Amino acid sequence: MCLDALGAEAARPYIERAQPQHPSLIDVAHLVDERFGVVNIPNSIWIDEAGMIVRPAEPAWPDAPETPQEAQRDDPAPKAAEPPPGRLGEMMAMAGQIVTDRAAYLAALHDWVERGAASAFALAPGEVIARSGRRGSEQATAAAEFELGQHLYRSGDLEGARAHFSESQRLHPDNWTYKRQAWSLEPSAFDGPLARFWQGPLPDRESDWPYQGDWVSDATVTGPANYYPRFRR
Amino acid sequence: MLLTTDKLGRAAFERGTGWALRGEGACRGDLCVPLPDGVVGEAVDVARLAEHLGMPLVRHSDELAALGPATLGGKVLASAEAPELVLPDINGHEFDLRSLRGQKIVLVAWSPY
Repeated sequence: MCLDALGAEAARPYIERAQPQHPSLIDVAHLVDERFGVVNIPNSIWIDEAGMIVRPAEPAWPDAPETPQEAQRDDPAPKAAEPPPGRLGEMMAMAGQIVTDRAAYLAALHDWVERGAASAFALAPGEVIARSGRRGSEQATAAAEFELGQHLYRSGDLEGARAHFSESQRLHPDNWTYKRQAWSLEPSAFDGPLARFWQGPLPDRESDWPYQGDWVSDATVTGPANYYPRFRR
Repeated sequence: MLLTTDKLGRAAFERGTGWALRGEGACRGDLCVPLPDGVVGEAVDVARLAEHLGMPLVRHSDELAALGPATLGGKVLASAEAPELVLPDINGHEFDLRSLRGQKIVLVAWSPY
């Protein structure tokens, strides 16, 4: 599922290049955030043959490029001629330090596919619920704010969208999909497949940035070791 | 779910929230919340039902609001049963997650940003 307010056209080059044998869906409103608790991307949810979740939303790399640099290498979209230094360099340095558990995740996935309910990675219903993430009033209100932001953005009301996106970020600061989606809709300093990863103020126009945080600043505060929760049995 | 009115049909509420409105109350998976008389008739009294399910109602204007997810239990999932999910594919054709019942599913969320 592609989570993007820009819809199918933004996802199409990636899906057509991958030529997947599985369904590829478009989630403009981030319904999987609300219903399954996705708070960053990439994430996955495992569901068994009876329709029961056996692992709730968690970081996942079933078959993904290693880094944004690799994504650019493999990307079907036109390349940036010469990305500017400075912020891009900071982004790449930070992205390169993000800690992931790709090998452990993939091994666990294969184990579950082969062994089903006997796999140690298939969780009992109570544990699935317990790990599914907190949802109090603030997180639920953030979801409603985010949905309004998405709707207004797609309706052309950018200022209205920014106000609701900002509120969703304030109420649920741990939700990176809210942030990354909103930030990626703002102008970028360059073109090409990495353009939407800019997610911050333009050079010499810092005061125009409409949000409290940006990707480099927030990822720095969170720390590359905490950007994705570690995979655990 | 987005709202442009305070009264909704049952089907619209169910599709928008993933909660089924049955005789025993509002249900999701094996969890059912009893509802008082008058909340659900031919139409759904959204504000009252939202209050019973712990759903925040955020207004943008008199004509537009959004209903957030239920907060019962304090967790994203109130049940391990997979919530209903119907989304379009890249060509706009709707796909219902339930059509994969009987197979293992790995639901992967990604984005080009």
